[in-house]
Amino acid sequence: MSTDKSNDMETQHGHHDVEGPGYSTPAAMRTESEREKTAFVMAPRVGMDTDNPDFVGVVDVDPESQTYCEIIDTVEMPNKGDELHHFGWNTCSSSCHTEGLHRDHLIVPGQRSSRIHVLDAADPRDPTIERIIEPEEIFEYDLSAPHTVHCVPGGKIVISMLGNADGELPGGFLQLDQEDFSIDGRWEEDRGDVEMQYDYWYQPRHGVMVSTEWAAPKTYYPGFDLDDVENGKYGDSIHIWDWETREHQDTLTFGEEGQIPLEIRMPHNPEETEGYVGAALSSNIIRFWKASDGTWDWETVIDVEAREHPDWDMPVPGLVTDTLISLDDQYLFFSNWLHGDCRMYDISDTGNPRLADRIWAGGNFGDRQEIQGTDIRGAPQMLQLSRDGRRLYWTTSLFSSWDNQFYPDIGEQGSLMMKADVYPEEGRLELDEDFLVDFGTAPGGPARAHEIRWPGGDCTSDVWQ
Amino acid sequence: MPTYEVILQWRDGAEQIIEADADETIIDATERAGLGLPYGCLYGACGTCTGRLLDGNLVHIERARALKPHHSKEGYVLLCVAKPRSDCRIEVGAEIQADLVPNPWK
Repeated sequence: MSTDKSNDMETQHGHHDVEGPGYSTPAAMRTESEREKTAFVMAPRVGMDTDNPDFVGVVDVDPESQTYCEIIDTVEMPNKGDELHHFGWNTCSSSCHTEGLHRDHLIVPGQRSSRIHVLDAADPRDPTIERIIEPEEIFEYDLSAPHTVHCVPGGKIVISMLGNADGELPGGFLQLDQEDFSIDGRWEEDRGDVEMQYDYWYQPRHGVMVSTEWAAPKTYYPGFDLDDVENGKYGDSIHIWDWETREHQDTLTFGEEGQIPLEIRMPHNPEETEGYVGAALSSNIIRFWKASDGTWDWETVIDVEAREHPDWDMPVPGLVTDTLISLDDQYLFFSNWLHGDCRMYDISDTGNPRLADRIWAGGNFGDRQEIQGTDIRGAPQMLQLSRDGRRLYWTTSLFSSWDNQFYPDIGEQGSLMMKADVYPEEGRLELDEDFLVDFGTAPGGPARAHEIRWPGGDCTSDVWQ
Repeated sequence: MPTYEVILQWRDGAEQIIEADADETIIDATERAGLGLPYGCLYGACGTCTGRLLDGNLVHIERARALKPHHSKEGYVLLCVAKPRSDCRIEVGAEIQADLVPNPWK
């Protein structure tokens, strides 16, 4: 069903009486969907000398196609300087019992501009811009720097916002209406003492949302300064929210073990009350869970050791910048953007992840520094897994100003999209040397490549009630 | 409003001369001239538009939040919120932003 066809086809919905968007269970999405044929990829050009705006690219990922591995469509934004980064759907499997909703619009925020674009993506090969929410409309709610987009039950879209209207703290959450994409206002009723924002995940069956922390936009926008870490300007905590009352309930503070907790994932099984967060700077994977007495607890379950490098004065942290969980909740993948590896852990024993395999490609330690004769600029960063769990794709840019610090070539030549084949039965990963999309040769000039999504949904977009 | 001559200087040696009104930002003036300097937030928080003032006077019309005090001392300016107060010479281009924060571990 949902992959490359127009999304009004996405209505065959198994055993439910009501036909809504998405799939009734994570297993249905994993087994009943077709292979991905195209990908939407965020392609920022912000901070490059190429005088062109960012674009949303459509990449052909169908090996049977004549245009396999090519950027077959680009939707350029009407303004420069947005820094397209993360994006999401108007609706997903969390609304799978809601008749009349279709997964046919992408919400595409500009991280730097605070502009939010709504794309009609019903045709996965020809998305078009339908509506734009200008920065001034967002600043009116004393918010800026939109990041994570989730559609939520009840016909709404909730976006984490990292700053206030001045690019300082506190941030919050912006709620949009799914019907006309107008701003409802702030999502949260009571943010307690929460100042920083970044990513969030929610588990509606248990009435919980968990949010993470990067820093104030004015802190992370210009680049990564260790003095800011020493001065407490970067996050080290995650926050538990009551999903129904929209009130902050609890904070888990990790300290040194969990500096800069970015991407957060909970299992797709809606029964689960635990999850994982990647602490980028500490380079740890931290597991959090709800204890039997109702309180939340945490522990570090994976610790990536910093490594000595002959050209660096200090040991190089892995920098865990993205994580994801397969739809069957069996494997956790994460990237070490400074080291240059992408790891696959078996998490069937959730508190004791087992390293199944890893791939090295680019980075500061990868044995492999080129593919198809092209230098690997950057290292594995944003990940996306096929719904069937058999193909892992990634892009190699992190954030324009941080790219400039650690992989400056990206700022001149753009970044890459790469792929590995995954063998879940064997717990194995293998780089696909035949796959390469070089955003350095994008139509209109080089671009960075960031988040990847499949038409029809994926393991980082969909939540189940 | 007075108009000033602004010389833009790239690190590869290229130069452009534009006119900028005292009541427009340097980015507004470069956009009007079709020069395509990098920018991001347009309110002084992100630093994408960072340039380095080599000569002349500019005034920040909003707090230059992306700059630390030492950046300002070294002449770095945010062109999205900077208006000219005299003829100026400014070092520009995507590379200038990268001066602000070097790799902290290398």
